[in-house]
Amino acid sequence: MKKLTYFPGCSAHGTSEEFDKTVKMVMSALDVEMEELPDWNCCGATSAHTMSETLANALPLRNLILAEKLDNNIMAIPCASCYQRLKVTKVHMDDNPELAHKINSTVVEEGIYEGKVAVKSMLQYCYEDIGTEAIKSKVTKSLTGMKLACYYGCLLTRPKAITQFDSPEYPVSMDQIVEALGAKATEFDYKTECCGASFSISNTEVVIRLSGQILEMAKESGAQAIVVACPLCQSNLDMRQPDIEKHTGKKYDLPVFYFTQLMALAFGMPKEEMMFGKHIVPVDGALANIGKIDPVPEKIKKTKKAVEAESEVE
Amino acid sequence: MITLSYIGRNTFLEAVNEKSGTNVLECYQCGKCVSTCPVSQYMDFPPREIMQLIKLGMKNEVLMANSTWFCLTCSACSGRCPREIEIPAVMESIRHLSIEENYINDSSKVREIRKFHEIFLDMIKRYGRNYELRMMAEFNIRTRNLFKDMNLAPKAILKGKIPLSVKPVKSAKAIKRMYKLAEKLEKQHS
Repeated sequence: MKKLTYFPGCSAHGTSEEFDKTVKMVMSALDVEMEELPDWNCCGATSAHTMSETLANALPLRNLILAEKLDNNIMAIPCASCYQRLKVTKVHMDDNPELAHKINSTVVEEGIYEGKVAVKSMLQYCYEDIGTEAIKSKVTKSLTGMKLACYYGCLLTRPKAITQFDSPEYPVSMDQIVEALGAKATEFDYKTECCGASFSISNTEVVIRLSGQILEMAKESGAQAIVVACPLCQSNLDMRQPDIEKHTGKKYDLPVFYFTQLMALAFGMPKEEMMFGKHIVPVDGALANIGKIDPVPEKIKKTKKAVEAESEVE
Repeated sequence: MITLSYIGRNTFLEAVNEKSGTNVLECYQCGKCVSTCPVSQYMDFPPREIMQLIKLGMKNEVLMANSTWFCLTCSACSGRCPREIEIPAVMESIRHLSIEENYINDSSKVREIRKFHEIFLDMIKRYGRNYELRMMAEFNIRTRNLFKDMNLAPKAILKGKIPLSVKPVKSAKAIKRMYKLAEKLEKQHS
């Protein structure tokens, strides 16, 4: 049995409760024991690094030190923003002793940072430590028929020097996970475009434009739904979707799932436990595609040359 | 009109380079950052121009611009920069310099963005975690825009999307102490 330290992050108790819950469900199905970090605090998110260099590192540092008190050598984080802040601080602490000493002087109660625990996003953990084969082996209800646009956002793969995971331009890890579940990942060009992130409240018009473009491209890719691994991406694309539709005058009707919700679904877990009721855009339309098989495309007529080439091989 | 504000040593460039851990002089003005940036259209000076202004030592123009406040730190620019400059780190250092040295961009958008971050940090100071509902309410009150998102909030609350309460950290004192020490540390260095 694998073990890890789990850092839920503030939104797990709020806007992304369904992410938190389904992460716990699928991890237990995959035989991973998760130990929640005791008395964790907020990572500081965008606001800390916007306003104060010291707080931006001090808030994550307290969590990194607390994690070293447990026995696990990996801490996995569902929220992309928490993941990024903790990873950035970890890299600073490991690479810059002078800064490390300075920052550690503001975190006094918890002790001295040693650098024993690796920090991974939940997506990265699923992809690297569990693997698509193990995920596939747990599937009892294949998601065949679903076409999904996998949206990664900015922080899971960028900056490359910090995340060391997947491609910063065209990542494929989540695509491979949903394909292991039986769904089809569409060719989607806006995988890593920014959704507007923390401007959701302070600068909503930017979010409407940026998230609008992502919905537009996802629809164009032929997707019936979007899959994400970040609570802020989810709430911008889902909760703001009615506003965006009002703004563009188009109907997207694209529910936005966490990848763990779909894993739980494919693992045959009861649908009621995935908290689909919390979604602003209803999910039933998209889920109704499960089991539907695409009409077989018309046979492509072979050219004379191709037929000749084939017969030569024989 | 923009005037050249330094003669001789470019101390502003030196300060930005030191703070950001990059070398702005590496920039050869190709503009890839501008075409990549999702918010360059809202900026007084897009990233490429900010880089050039820093090279020219135009501190006042750079620190007063709204550019750094609009930067989402999405790192799309630095990922595509042929000179591999960490542009978000540059943006962040000029934002911190403008806070430390009290350069205040007074446009309403920047004021709102700044207010949001201040309220967010205040929530963490108080609870150790973010209290989403209270944060949204305070933002509306403090920006005098009481009805913002009122079409959305009731639905989100009813669906349990935004909970009514927060579970604060147990070591609230440790967080408050951290804030105090961080503030002291930053005062020493500025």
